[in-house]
Amino acid sequence: MRSYFSDIPKTALQASYWLFVIYLLLPLALMMAISFKDANFVAFPIDKWTLKWYAQVLQDRQFLEACLYSIFIALMTTLFATIVGVWIALLISTEGMIARSVIFALACLPAVVPGLINAISMRIFIRVLDIPTGTGAIILGHTVHAVPFVVIMVLTRLRSMPNNLVDAARDLGADSFVAFMRVTLPYLAPALAGGMVFCVLTSIDDFVRTFFLGGYQTTLPMLIFAKVQGGMSPEINAMATLVLIVTAAIGLYAEHLTRRSRTR
Amino acid sequence: MQPVVHFRNVNKYYGSSLAVDNLDLAIEPGQFVTLLGPSGCGKSTTLRMLGGFEMPTSGEIFLDGQEISQLPPNKRNVNIVFQDYALFPHLNVRRNVAFGLELKGMASDAIHKRTMELLSLVKLTDFAERMPGQLSGGQRQRVALMRALAPNPNVLLLDEPLSALDAKLRQQMQIELKSIQKTTGKTFIFVTHDQEEALTMSDVVVVMNAGRIEQMGDPHTLYAKPRSRFVANFIGETNFIEGKLKAVDGGLAAIEWNGSVVHANLNGHGPAVGSTVAAALRPEAITVISEKPANTIAVSGQITQRIFKGDHTSLTVSLANGQSLVAQLDPVALSRVTGDDVWLTWRESDAVVLAD
Ligand SMILES: Nc1ncnc2c1ncn2[C@@H]1O[C@H](COP(=O)(O)OP(=O)(O)OP(=O)(O)O)[C@@H](O)[C@H]1O
Ligand SMILES: [Mg+2]
Repeated sequence: MRSYFSDIPKTALQASYWLFVIYLLLPLALMMAISFKDANFVAFPIDKWTLKWYAQVLQDRQFLEACLYSIFIALMTTLFATIVGVWIALLISTEGMIARSVIFALACLPAVVPGLINAISMRIFIRVLDIPTGTGAIILGHTVHAVPFVVIMVLTRLRSMPNNLVDAARDLGADSFVAFMRVTLPYLAPALAGGMVFCVLTSIDDFVRTFFLGGYQTTLPMLIFAKVQGGMSPEINAMATLVLIVTAAIGLYAEHLTRRSRTR
Repeated sequence: MQPVVHFRNVNKYYGSSLAVDNLDLAIEPGQFVTLLGPSGCGKSTTLRMLGGFEMPTSGEIFLDGQEISQLPPNKRNVNIVFQDYALFPHLNVRRNVAFGLELKGMASDAIHKRTMELLSLVKLTDFAERMPGQLSGGQRQRVALMRALAPNPNVLLLDEPLSALDAKLRQQMQIELKSIQKTTGKTFIFVTHDQEEALTMSDVVVVMNAGRIEQMGDPHTLYAKPRSRFVANFIGETNFIEGKLKAVDGGLAAIEWNGSVVHANLNGHGPAVGSTVAAALRPEAITVISEKPANTIAVSGQITQRIFKGDHTSLTVSLANGQSLVAQLDPVALSRVTGDDVWLTWRESDAVVLAD
């Protein structure tokens, strides 16, 4: 066990950690708590508890439609980003040193360019090409943003893959396509699973790109934003709580999956 | 008989460096052939060219009389066992072995039958459902071997398959490999840099050095009649006797060795009388005696070092002519001690003249 700042009492470090955790969790906890409040305004204390906001949210056609729309966009984004990401990762792993770093840097650019800049440039871009705003444009925008994460995850996994697994498959009669499908792809599976979950989550979460590229149909973040502008109500808290629980569950499950495959 | 594998004038360059230099090698069917040589001498490259993972820069490779040097690995009827086994980590033992059979489009019950037969050959039927990560090194080795044998290749290639195993297991696997080769009757081409392994297992040993074949032959010939200094040095322990060639008589050379004249087998070489020649003499070919023998050539000296090695004792003898020889004694001759004056003698044909 290493120790840092050993002349500061350990309790000080621990205390600051717990302060941070409280700072992290308290807003979430408050948000969740208010979603159970039986009143029309967002404030404390909570005198009466209720589940009516949840009932209302689950019957809200607008909310359900926005959910489905967001999920659809997320899945399409994941599909495209995975294909493109795997393809780029494979390309990078076969190139020489210089080409490799150039391709990698370019592919990862969207991950570090500010979302706003990315969104505006995409908006101008589709305008120039005469692509209409709406579903297609949103998916394009989300895909560009998701690709780097797939590339990085796949590349990391690919690096740990023994060189001669593909050779062994070729040796046993597989052509290069069969070898890829039966050996490389299964080997990449944990990275793909992780990358795909990441794509889904970033796409569902994305507001800025959707805002600039979207059409009339609202995605979940846009719906919530519109509702917030119309005034806070515990209904919004209920929506947010549902989203939080579902996404956290997906994220944790994906973490669990990749961890298990890593220790195997 | 038509060779099963034939390399004809094969060269392989990596960039500008020559890895395999004008290789000419014909291998008879059904033999256990070992490529032996120091690290970097081109053994793996040779094997990989046969497997289809590297293409020769020039020259041709024939398999069963058919030119294959430009075919991809999946179009060649050879299979390879990799040094680190390269088992597919996401498939269990049974599916690993079945991999090549599935790709051949064999019916699934036939695949199952053959897979289980192969696994029972190496006593692994109980492990059929295990993942490769749950096997010991020796078990992985056996699975890799059976996976490569499953598609029934003409020739099986093995690239240092035993080097990751500990000494005991290695010996056991050597015997097992050899017996599998015998029962299947297939041609095995085995790569190692361990000379003892090569001598134990092979019908034919091909000694390679710097991309070229130094010598090829059965283990006994290689050991008893090394052609070059490299082979003599690489296989077993050797004394070198260097001197001027005084006379040639039949198959024998008389070499003037620092004043003493000794005889050696010419071994087919034809050096000019008066030139400097070297001969190799194995320590175990030397007889150590106390008195000067009456009718053979012998050299006298004093024991300067005595190393007990269990099954034999190694003696270093400083000779009256200023040179020294290492002799090997069996354990009964334990009475020889350092400082003893002795005479060394050997059968004339046991010292062999080298090419260089
Ligand atoms: N992919 C490659 N690129 C460049 N040079 C290579 C490559 N593979 C091998 N070489 C070079 O070719 C020569 C022969 O290599 P090879 O792997 O055949 O040796 P080896 O006899 O199998 O050695 P070892 O016993 O260490 O495995 C070496 O000098 C090596 O550095
Ligand atoms: Mg090698």
